[in-house]
Amino acid sequence: MSYAEQMARLTARKIEQTRVKQDRLGARDEDDYGLVLPPESFKADLPVRDATGQFSGPRAWAANFRWLMEHHPLYIDPDDALAGRWMFMLSRMRLGYQLSRSNFAFDYSHLEPLQKKYDITTGIGKDAHFAPDYQIGLDLGWGGLLEKVRAARLKFGGRAEARPSPAGEPGRVAACCDRAEDAAYAIELMDAEEQAILGVQAWTRRLGEAAADRTMTEEDPVRRANLAEMARICLKLVDQPPETLREVVQWIAIFNMASRTYNRDGAGGQLDELLRPYYERDLAAGRITDEDAEFYCFCLLLNDPHYYQIGGPAADGTDQTSRMSYIILEAANKLKSSCNLTIRVWDGMDRALYRRGVEILLANRLGFPRFSGDKALVEGFMKNGYSAELARRRIAVGCNWMSLPGLEYTLNDVVKINIAKVFEVAFAESDSWEELESNYRKHFAAAVKVTAEGIDFHLDHQYLNEPELMLNLLSHGPIEKGKDVSHGGAMYYNMAIDGAGLAVVADSFGAIEQRVVDEKSLSFAEVKDAVASNFEGEAGARVRKLMDSAGRYGAGGTRADAWAVKLTEILNGEIAGHTTPHGFKLIPGWFTWADTIRFGKTVGATPNGRKAGEPISHGANPLPGFRRDGALTAMATAIASVQPGYGNTAPWQLEVDIGLADDEGAVDKLMALMDGHFALGGTLVNINVVDAEKILAAHKDPSKFPDLVVRVTGFTAYFNSLSPAFRQLVVKRLIREAV
Amino acid sequence: MKDGPGIRTSVFLKGCPLRCAWCHNPESQAAEIQRAVTTGEVCGRVMSVDAVMGEVLRDAVFYRTSGGGVTFTGGEPMLQFDFLKTLCAAARAAGVHVAVDTSGYAPWERFAELLPLVDLFLYDLKCMDPARHAELTGVPNELILGNLRRLDAAGAKFWIRCPLVPGLNDSDSDLAALRAFTSALRNMEKLEICPYHPLGLEKCATFGLIPRYAEKALPTSADLARWRQALPC
Repeated sequence: MSYAEQMARLTARKIEQTRVKQDRLGARDEDDYGLVLPPESFKADLPVRDATGQFSGPRAWAANFRWLMEHHPLYIDPDDALAGRWMFMLSRMRLGYQLSRSNFAFDYSHLEPLQKKYDITTGIGKDAHFAPDYQIGLDLGWGGLLEKVRAARLKFGGRAEARPSPAGEPGRVAACCDRAEDAAYAIELMDAEEQAILGVQAWTRRLGEAAADRTMTEEDPVRRANLAEMARICLKLVDQPPETLREVVQWIAIFNMASRTYNRDGAGGQLDELLRPYYERDLAAGRITDEDAEFYCFCLLLNDPHYYQIGGPAADGTDQTSRMSYIILEAANKLKSSCNLTIRVWDGMDRALYRRGVEILLANRLGFPRFSGDKALVEGFMKNGYSAELARRRIAVGCNWMSLPGLEYTLNDVVKINIAKVFEVAFAESDSWEELESNYRKHFAAAVKVTAEGIDFHLDHQYLNEPELMLNLLSHGPIEKGKDVSHGGAMYYNMAIDGAGLAVVADSFGAIEQRVVDEKSLSFAEVKDAVASNFEGEAGARVRKLMDSAGRYGAGGTRADAWAVKLTEILNGEIAGHTTPHGFKLIPGWFTWADTIRFGKTVGATPNGRKAGEPISHGANPLPGFRRDGALTAMATAIASVQPGYGNTAPWQLEVDIGLADDEGAVDKLMALMDGHFALGGTLVNINVVDAEKILAAHKDPSKFPDLVVRVTGFTAYFNSLSPAFRQLVVKRLIREAV
Repeated sequence: MKDGPGIRTSVFLKGCPLRCAWCHNPESQAAEIQRAVTTGEVCGRVMSVDAVMGEVLRDAVFYRTSGGGVTFTGGEPMLQFDFLKTLCAAARAAGVHVAVDTSGYAPWERFAELLPLVDLFLYDLKCMDPARHAELTGVPNELILGNLRRLDAAGAKFWIRCPLVPGLNDSDSDLAALRAFTSALRNMEKLEICPYHPLGLEKCATFGLIPRYAEKALPTSADLARWRQALPC
């Protein structure tokens, strides 16, 4: 039995699992996550809920999490190097869960009117979205983490050992405001961490035992040996830290699956550097070959599409590309599934890794790897007052986002201002072109203010609502300080605020300036009337035709292009270098995630010809049809021109039909295109190289293409898992231009 | 991005003295600004050298990262010679790699004047047989072949581009003649086959023109293989 055969079987099972997921869960405009459905007979009967089905506070989360891990169905695949798959998100098991609005045990109704007015995704009650430092766990193992937590609890005045049985309570909503309460919370948090670890250990032990059980019935000797090794590793990892490469990837997978189960956390790390020492030791000792290493990495990537970075500079500015980087990349190449691997592109890099990444992107057409632009990210993050060493350690480990593993709390990608909504408010209030900009500035400032107040509210209360029991363990500070990472536990707080809807607003401003101010072919009042009527009637249609055909953002040299830059200046003017009222640093970005449809529904017609309720634009991207010829370089230039430039990203999301992907020059040209974008200040490039005919056919009948993976935004997903409306957006974004 | 090395901006200059049967840019044949009969869309605009260069330089960074530049094409760019020459000089002054995509059907003096301003000529060879050439393109090929020999002798860099159309100019003898002619050229950097594409048919309909060659199918892979085998590309 060869690894190729094992990989093929594992991939086929993954596709089948995805089909089952789609059948049972329906369309989801989200990451694939690697989640597997539990048996239908399984009932997740969480022990702690209040009368409304909610639970909050460290004890409740810990008790429920421990219960879930102790009862979690066991998944063992004799072809896999790794034991386990994850099946639940505890954070979504509270009643009334919505992706767009988290359950929160504290009243923030005083903020809600303005949050609604500007359609703000507040981040209040949002979890994860910052990166762990796996090295902490790899050094200590679960046993070492347990000792650390218990020692900390003793230091805070608590007991040395666990209570015999975990007791939860539905919610603890008292404010924590003086030192005695701080200490009480620290003890409670350590209790909760202890319970969480015990839960993970129980699950790990059960996985080991299940693998051992399977050896009794497995007839194939290779699989039987594999199961025996899987069992040995899991049983070892219950307490001990990993020592070999296979043990390390199993430990990382266990943490990932547990952290997913807790609250969907999907941040990875600098995977090549995490694995390299173990790989090199195993190789030197003759324990493994490169083929073994590649298979272990394949299984880790298959287990869960966590976000990992490879390549890029080390903290001291040397290139950290290694043989391990290539092994991971080749494992990803063989993984014909959803994957979120990012190659960090920088001046001092091993260009061969970059080239190989582009070759894989072109050949596989699965939307990965992604490419992140080191120069602008490092220089940008340093503008917030951080050193170059620290800036280099801030890596691409999320959909759009960067994080300092184990050091930083950010609310990345979960705080967004729908600027199309802000524009709508400003436009409705304006009677002339002259008033429009100042009204937009005024309302945008108000939107940022209430967003920042919401961030403070979250930071004030989240530790009592939903402490980060898993990510605390792999952060530098929470256990040492007895504080949740969201509440003083982290080393740095760099709170993200992203603008969404840039192209809609830039095109709206641009179209008005072009048609009303420059050409005088329409009056401001005519535009207002047409927008108010949703471009109904003959007059509305005439106005729409003119506004829709005005020069767009992305075309190059248009009024809308200038407005996109100005909107970025306005974004920066209110966010960059600013803090929340409580003094937490803010960092701006442009990103919409998969919320283009949801955001669009709240916004009436806009002067760029967009009708009420239609989706808003994606991230920093121009709207489809922004330019006919030269769209690729124009887009690369335009998106570089709107980079906020403070270390967070404004990704370039590119869907391109490269009919000529086989062209000998395609790799060089795509690299040149990205090099140019990065030289101009670009931060992250997500590319879907697609076969237009295939994607159009799949849009008509997704079931015919069960293995078609596309990069939806920062994440990849199976095309047939997306809703029809979202599939339509992906199709519309397609640029048919030869590279 | 296909007209020459690297990432390039193609500047289309309207007007062409040839009327190739398979023309895939029929909207560039007339020198005048045209309006599409079906969509009303306007084809062509009057631009200053500064306006063209403004557009061209917008992508300067990509020329550097890719080894690309600007390609002046058409139509036949030599028809607007003074404008072309000024553009070439402006691009050269801005440090941008300059390519001129030409049918070769222009007085030699124009090529001679452009030589110091152009980094690369993309030079079409459509058919070696004089009578057949005239039949297919509307003009004889002596001037074209003569200019190419002189460019070669002058040490200019050039790529030969052969638009090949099944049944029109791809017989074994056509290909053999092309091979014989091009193998005598000392400075040819590359020979590119440009397979027939029916894109021009749609454009003819848009602009109310009647195509002389109305094949809707792309060349077959067998055609492509035969062409590649017969020519030094």
